[in-house]
Amino acid sequence: MSLIDNKRNKPEMNHVIKNQRNAHNSSSPTTMAERQRQRFVDKATKVSAKYLRRLAELPGAPDAMEPFFKVLQDIYVDLKNVEKSADTKIVGTYCVMVPDELIYAVGAQPVKLCSGSYTAFAIGDDLVPRDACPLIKAVMGFQAMEVMPIYDDCALMVVPITCDCKKKMAGMLKQRVPTYALHVPTAKSEDRDMEQYVQELYQLIPELEAVTGQTISYQSLAESIDAMGFAQYQMSKFNEFKKHVPALIKGTHAMALMNAFSYLPVEQWSQQLHRLNQELARRKKDKHYVSKDKQPRIMITGSPVIFPNIKIPLLIEETGGILVGDETCMGERSLYDPTVVVDQSFDGLMRSLANRYTRPCTCPTFVDNSQRIYRIKQMIADHQVQGVVYHVLRGCLVYDFEYQTLEDELGKLGVPVIRVESDYNEEDIEQLRIRIEAFIELIKLKDLETRISKLKKSEIAG
Amino acid sequence: MKKTDLKLRKIFTPTVIVICGVLMLLSLFAGNLVFYAFGSDDSGYAITPVLIILLLAIIGIVLCLWLRRRIVRNDPVMGRFAAERISLKPGGTVKGQRKFGFMTMRWLIMILSFFALIYGVKWLGQGFGNIELPIFACPINQDQLIDSSCYTLAHLNSLVGMSWSEVGIFLGSLLLSIVVLGRFICGFLCPMGLIQDLTHETRQGLKIEGLSFNEKLYSRLKPIKWTLLLLFLGLSFVGGNFCNICPAITVSPALAGFKVSLFLSGFAMIVVIIGSFFKRRFFCNICPLGYLIGLGHRISLFRIKKDCQACTECGACYEACPMGIKTIYTEREKRDVTTADCIMCGECIDKCPENKALAMSFGGLRFYKASRKTFMSGHKKNEKRLKRLIRKREKNESN
Ligand code: SF4
Ligand code: SF4
Repeated sequence: MSLIDNKRNKPEMNHVIKNQRNAHNSSSPTTMAERQRQRFVDKATKVSAKYLRRLAELPGAPDAMEPFFKVLQDIYVDLKNVEKSADTKIVGTYCVMVPDELIYAVGAQPVKLCSGSYTAFAIGDDLVPRDACPLIKAVMGFQAMEVMPIYDDCALMVVPITCDCKKKMAGMLKQRVPTYALHVPTAKSEDRDMEQYVQELYQLIPELEAVTGQTISYQSLAESIDAMGFAQYQMSKFNEFKKHVPALIKGTHAMALMNAFSYLPVEQWSQQLHRLNQELARRKKDKHYVSKDKQPRIMITGSPVIFPNIKIPLLIEETGGILVGDETCMGERSLYDPTVVVDQSFDGLMRSLANRYTRPCTCPTFVDNSQRIYRIKQMIADHQVQGVVYHVLRGCLVYDFEYQTLEDELGKLGVPVIRVESDYNEEDIEQLRIRIEAFIELIKLKDLETRISKLKKSEIAG
Repeated sequence: MKKTDLKLRKIFTPTVIVICGVLMLLSLFAGNLVFYAFGSDDSGYAITPVLIILLLAIIGIVLCLWLRRRIVRNDPVMGRFAAERISLKPGGTVKGQRKFGFMTMRWLIMILSFFALIYGVKWLGQGFGNIELPIFACPINQDQLIDSSCYTLAHLNSLVGMSWSEVGIFLGSLLLSIVVLGRFICGFLCPMGLIQDLTHETRQGLKIEGLSFNEKLYSRLKPIKWTLLLLFLGLSFVGGNFCNICPAITVSPALAGFKVSLFLSGFAMIVVIIGSFFKRRFFCNICPLGYLIGLGHRISLFRIKKDCQACTECGACYEACPMGIKTIYTEREKRDVTTADCIMCGECIDKCPENKALAMSFGGLRFYKASRKTFMSGHKKNEKRLKRLIRKREKNESN
């Protein structure tokens, strides 16, 4: 126990020392390591600030987006901690399978730590094998540099074992911070898969309770389920606005908003989203659109798109497309499926949580994931999507595996799809720009053709 | 829990076989197993046996809870919740989901039908004896608004002595019910259904953990259902009487004031109440009459429709379904997901969060569809509160 305590205290202490250090001699760093760290901080914040600027400069951002930008600014540029009262503990999570409800129910604040930082990626490159995915590299990079309060203040990290990279990452994290590996069933078609996850969640509870010293009660769990449910309710309203043609909000902004969810207490986030929804409703009434009639409607799916690695959505919208939907785990997926409580007992709540985080989840970690195809098809119909961008992070095998089936299925529908592979750096931007631009032109052409043929048909008929 | 699970699994199949055997054996001698007998002098209250059943059932439930608590307490994982498992604290339920809607209608219809099937004649002065619903509303109670054909079904040997018109009415209304209503009867009209839903709601109110059935457990119930069907249709031919073991006989006649001596039925009703307390619609899962109606599900007019593309396979419908119909969530091709087991209760549609993924239809008309907006409508209240809060804050700021 004392060992764990030691570990738990260390990062906090480090952080205090570091802060002092930053305050006193940030102008003249002395040792080699400090200088390296300073360079790292400068670079990381500069990149984040740049992308934040591009995000804000992308025309059509609603005023109510401001708080969401501010959160990203706080975390990534000013290197602040999440907004919370001093004694609230942070629990770091990864992926979309860790129930935030349970974390809120013990009075802690969940923070999603999946990272998109290019600078941290460069550090992590030396720590993990070359073929590991950039997300892991970025996380390990931040962990090693100890400059991000959200990583250093974590009282516990919960890592769902979703792919090989995450599994090994959990092992590496364990050597530095208290880490809990949450086993996610590999399949979900059998009843026992879901039931197994119920057991896993029951086992997670004592770990979480040890963090804050609060026990989960029926009351607290029901309240946190409702709080998350309210966020999802706002989210479902937001989704309705997103379906509007022409678009009321740019998809890149929508993705930034979902990214901000990772660093905001859920009540605050849903309040801000509520404001945004009100603004969008006004836009709808005033016919204030952010896209033109013939702008190609694109959807993005595949590997997570995490701030500041938002180059692909930005490119899509900067080269003339309009991003109308995303099927990614840092985007819509993390809040899309509601917790459906069918039994009011405590066990019923736990079951409904386990159910919500496994069965509808379209993460490719599951053996059979055909439902993702259906989901994408439905989104294509709902959002009137004209083209799909399939994002693959280099080394993200599970998503790459599912590309083939999706391409075949979408081929049958006649919806063009493009696979773009990218890494956490800016070297591939030009190449990506050319490919995405060409893709958008292709869709425009296709659209023109169908319009012309329709016109001809009506002429013949007329 | 795992270990006990394993043990349970190992003893489950033999248990089911033993249960079926014992059921058969008992039913043959059911007439000798007296639960409560009224004397020939017509003394005593008709309601007494019902009260006894209720009392025994409550004792049984408490016993089960106590036993479970003892078992769970020693389990390293679940043991921590031994206290939480029987939480009687008021308030604090999940509020975000819809509260009123189709389910309210269903409850109203169920209650109405319950009273109509018990006091109908007393109210209206006249019943409709020549319509016979296949329903477990005991026809020994002669105040029923609509007759039940369960007696004839349980005594098929008596068909021989009936007049042609009687046989015609019996067969005609049976067929008509199957086509027009189907198992809608089970979900909306059956008094046994209401009793079971009431016990279920009691458990919900007390927030006591139930039994979550899975595929395997559901499939283990099938042999019991078949045994009951065999007894239901065949007992009269070997000199037995299904009414002696039928749990439905205990409630309806007694409430209407008919004094009926109870045999094995009394015990059966206790089992039904305890069972349905822990597992919603427990009896419906083994009900022979419902099974019989369900066989005609291909031609019945009430149907459950599905839009397979809209479905996210979230499994909410499966979790909610009291009959454990898994195909409703796994189906990916057919637009029609009606099965023989479906009692048309609409729970699945009520809990489905995807727009139009599920719908109930009557003769092609979809009158009840799943929708995310109504599913989450419980949050509207929260939203209003938030709006008020924001307005107040803005006012303060501008001052
Ligand atoms: S499938 Fe739906 S309507 Fe049918 S029994 Fe199950 S929950 Fe009720
Ligand atoms: S509840 Fe609706 S979306 Fe979920 S599995 Fe059932 S039909 Fe599909």
